[in-house]
Amino acid sequence: MVPVVLQGIVSGIVTGCVYALIALSLVIIYKSSDVINFAGGEMVMVGGYLGMFALLWLDLPYVFIFPFAALVIFIVGALFDRVVLTGVVSRSVPGHSVLVAMIIATVGLSYVLKGIVRIIPYTEEVRRLPPISAGAPIFLGPVVMQHQDIAIVVAALGIMGALWAFFNFTMIGKALRATSQNPRAAALVGIPVRRMSMTAWGIAAALAGIAGILLAPKLLLTPDTGAIVILALAAAIIGGFVSLPGCVAGGVMLGIVQNLIGLYVSSRAISLAPFLVIMIVLLVRPQGLFAGNVRAKKV
Amino acid sequence: MHGAPPLSRLAWLLLLLAAGFVLPLFLPQYFLYLGNFLMMFAVLAIGLDLLLGWAGQFAFAHIAFFGIGVYGTALLQIRLGVPFMIGMPLAALLAGAIGLLMGFPATRLRTVYLALATFAFAEAAQWVFNSWDKVTNGPDGLRIAAPNILGYRVGTDQTAFPVMAAILAVMIAATMYLTTSKFGRAMCAIRDSEHVAAASGIDVRGTKVWAFAISAVYAGIAGGMYTLFQSFVNPEVFGFQQIVLLLSMIVVGGLGTIPGVLIGVALLGLLPEVMRTTMRDLLIWQELAYGLILMFAVMFMPRGIWGFISAHRGRR
Amino acid sequence: MSTRSIHHLAAAMATLLLLIGPSALAADPGITDTEITIGLFAPMSGPLAAFGLDPLQAAKMWYEETNKKGGIHGRKIKVVVEDDKCNPNEVVAVVKKLVTVDKTFFVHGGSCTAATVAAQEFVTREKIPHVMLNASGDSAVIPPTRYVFGAFGGTQRTVGATIAEFAIKELKGKRVALIAHDDEYGTANVSTIRAVAARLGAEVVAAEMISPRITDVTAPLLNIRAANPDVIVSTVYPGPAVLVAQKYAEYGMTKIPLAQAVQGIPVPAAFAKNVGNDAALANFYYGSPLNDLTDGPKQQKWLALYKQYYPDRTPSAFMTYGLPSAMAVTRALEKAGRDVTRESFIDALETLDFDSEVVAGPIAFAKDRRDAHRASIFVKFDGKTHTLMPGVYFWNGKDGL
Repeated sequence: MVPVVLQGIVSGIVTGCVYALIALSLVIIYKSSDVINFAGGEMVMVGGYLGMFALLWLDLPYVFIFPFAALVIFIVGALFDRVVLTGVVSRSVPGHSVLVAMIIATVGLSYVLKGIVRIIPYTEEVRRLPPISAGAPIFLGPVVMQHQDIAIVVAALGIMGALWAFFNFTMIGKALRATSQNPRAAALVGIPVRRMSMTAWGIAAALAGIAGILLAPKLLLTPDTGAIVILALAAAIIGGFVSLPGCVAGGVMLGIVQNLIGLYVSSRAISLAPFLVIMIVLLVRPQGLFAGNVRAKKV
Repeated sequence: MHGAPPLSRLAWLLLLLAAGFVLPLFLPQYFLYLGNFLMMFAVLAIGLDLLLGWAGQFAFAHIAFFGIGVYGTALLQIRLGVPFMIGMPLAALLAGAIGLLMGFPATRLRTVYLALATFAFAEAAQWVFNSWDKVTNGPDGLRIAAPNILGYRVGTDQTAFPVMAAILAVMIAATMYLTTSKFGRAMCAIRDSEHVAAASGIDVRGTKVWAFAISAVYAGIAGGMYTLFQSFVNPEVFGFQQIVLLLSMIVVGGLGTIPGVLIGVALLGLLPEVMRTTMRDLLIWQELAYGLILMFAVMFMPRGIWGFISAHRGRR
Repeated sequence: MSTRSIHHLAAAMATLLLLIGPSALAADPGITDTEITIGLFAPMSGPLAAFGLDPLQAAKMWYEETNKKGGIHGRKIKVVVEDDKCNPNEVVAVVKKLVTVDKTFFVHGGSCTAATVAAQEFVTREKIPHVMLNASGDSAVIPPTRYVFGAFGGTQRTVGATIAEFAIKELKGKRVALIAHDDEYGTANVSTIRAVAARLGAEVVAAEMISPRITDVTAPLLNIRAANPDVIVSTVYPGPAVLVAQKYAEYGMTKIPLAQAVQGIPVPAAFAKNVGNDAALANFYYGSPLNDLTDGPKQQKWLALYKQYYPDRTPSAFMTYGLPSAMAVTRALEKAGRDVTRESFIDALETLDFDSEVVAGPIAFAKDRRDAHRASIFVKFDGKTHTLMPGVYFWNGKDGL
């Protein structure tokens, strides 16, 4: 029994890092524009397809498909923010209805991305991006992992670390944080707020794209792969939606819980797990598990 | 808008009722079906707008209450023979009760968390509809028998149409009174600023909780309306797509305004039909077109079509 | 009256006049001296377009061929095509439009089950024959009702029954593990798998029901491994099917034969590529309702014909599934004679029992039978070569009911 539980936990950690990678992207956008990016899943999906395109058609070496996809999606994200979201904000009266309108804009983006991808006949069949390294599975005692799994975990931790360093030690990073905390004060200090917003979206999008390449070998690619965003949202919520380590912790927790439910309750209940977890966490600790005490928001 | 609604507004409702009785006499069933569909969605959308547009609560559990309304009304009729006129209000009250219960913890949550918690609730409800085989028949879905309204069998689009129009008219009238009442003003105050509202002596928590409950009742009633003209329901109807569609309808049409919501329902409800007939050779582009329409709608008219029209008419 | 209300009234009057205008005086709508109008619908956009577009075009192709040979009793077939996106609401709208606005003789369409059930009450009430395209249509044809004909590729009950029988008889399974979805397909599959296992004296040692959107099959596969089966049966869709095969190999279960139903493996070569590990397919079998491999000799004439009509499109694996239903339609129209009515069309359909030269078994209906096809063949696939397994497996129409 123990090896089975261990396998469940280890696989759960891997899947959790999958969710975490996407969640990191969602949280960056939330911290920057207070918006839930419903197109996050589609950005991941497009990243995966771009990776396939670069690998199979442009014949780029595997290492280069990451920056290729990241760059393309960076542009998509930044443009979306600059053109669409700024358009929404500039024509709105400040208030809560702006947020809803922006969310609908991201929904529109998700349909646009999905629509474009679906038009290409290549995407009609389920596809799989070849993994970073196709080797025999690795055995840690009775537990088995694929090379790609390890890559995912390392990437999740690595990216989280890199982002933490970025936000705390670089000028741009600190400027981004300042803008998200208090846009008016940031503008007063001379930070180009609009450009910061664009940058945040670009970075978050690029992150989603990179996640797509890491995840496509594991998740398989169809135009509907973006539906996984719901699980990433759950991971982000558990983590509190404000902290990056929270995303990883939340994701890992979700992945493990899903597997444990599958092993001890029933496979049918697996799909209920994320929603149950969201509701329970928010019931018990409305600000999420890692957000610290509730801070008053500036009125 | 404050004070009792002007009589000219009520005249529109009479027109609606008249159309409800006259149109079925000569329109082909296809158009009546579309009309029934839109009327049901209108009640659903107005209910969500009350919560989101008037009270400013980012809550997306609406579709779960819709499901409770549909399954509740249908099951009461199939299993216990309860007639529609009693079954639908019961199902709507059940939805309202659960909405009330949900209101309490929901008021503790901030925007994003509220949105996602209520969204999670909706997804969990869909899971329950799909898995509780004994009651809901699970993924195979439920066949709905023609409801019985005071002896009058209502199962076809023709017979359902006038009833749907009547229910919609009642709900719109109720909404007009609700939004211009003290409660309505309390909701607006909370939406604009909770702190100021509290300082003015409004019971913020109580208003919010009641907003949740009332919104859920609307959804439950829309669920009852579903059973009037549809013969089959399965859990797929209550998924993420519908939540997004509802949200898009009220945002594109105009949050917080009754004409706006109705416009949004009509436009986005008919859009698939329109696209299907006009884009015959380009069917595969429909998804892309839909996304672009959404994006551009909020980009150029973030306060909705009605907001855009009102601004240009010089009102507000 | 305000200007607005006058406009409304004018619009209403215009609509009224437009509708009263032309009226078909035939006994049944959709039939004139020279034409029969058929309302054809399938998903042609959206996530399930691959299931519907090619079968619909194949049906259209068959009707064109029939027209080329002179039509049926002097009438040409005219087709009105609609996209239903496999969405129950759209299907009801489309069917109502085809019947009440386009006034077709009957409706021919449906690639997804829930959608076909949604329209059932309407077609039955209005007495319109509804012949499905390639939908399994389980709850719409079982129990049978007069107006709905379907399952030209087999119901999901057939899929479950045949794969269970294959697993137990050919693969000598006594302890069967099954993995299926928790949707209406999965529940139908499981009902017959269990019934057939019970009848043949085998035990179902594990039954994992998973969501079609699942991304991690760790728990279900671990549960299956723990139950110690000697054969595994899977009826999941393409994405999960790949995941299942991968994890099954990862957890060292490849000594146990794995049989996958057709819905998860539309293109075996792509499946093998996605799994990415031929060792996983050492003991792998898949089922198919066709009479041969998708590109086997018996299917070539259909592929060639399709290429003639649609040279720019490479058909999906489901293309030929659209043919048996169109064949049933033309045969029944022939049988019913020149004075065909909706009711006589149905009576003629009920007498059909023919070999479509597309699927493994006969296409047959009866007074109390509305699922056309109950057969399946199986193929051993090791990632490169397909080996047709002997025999055609049938659902006996009783198991699992």
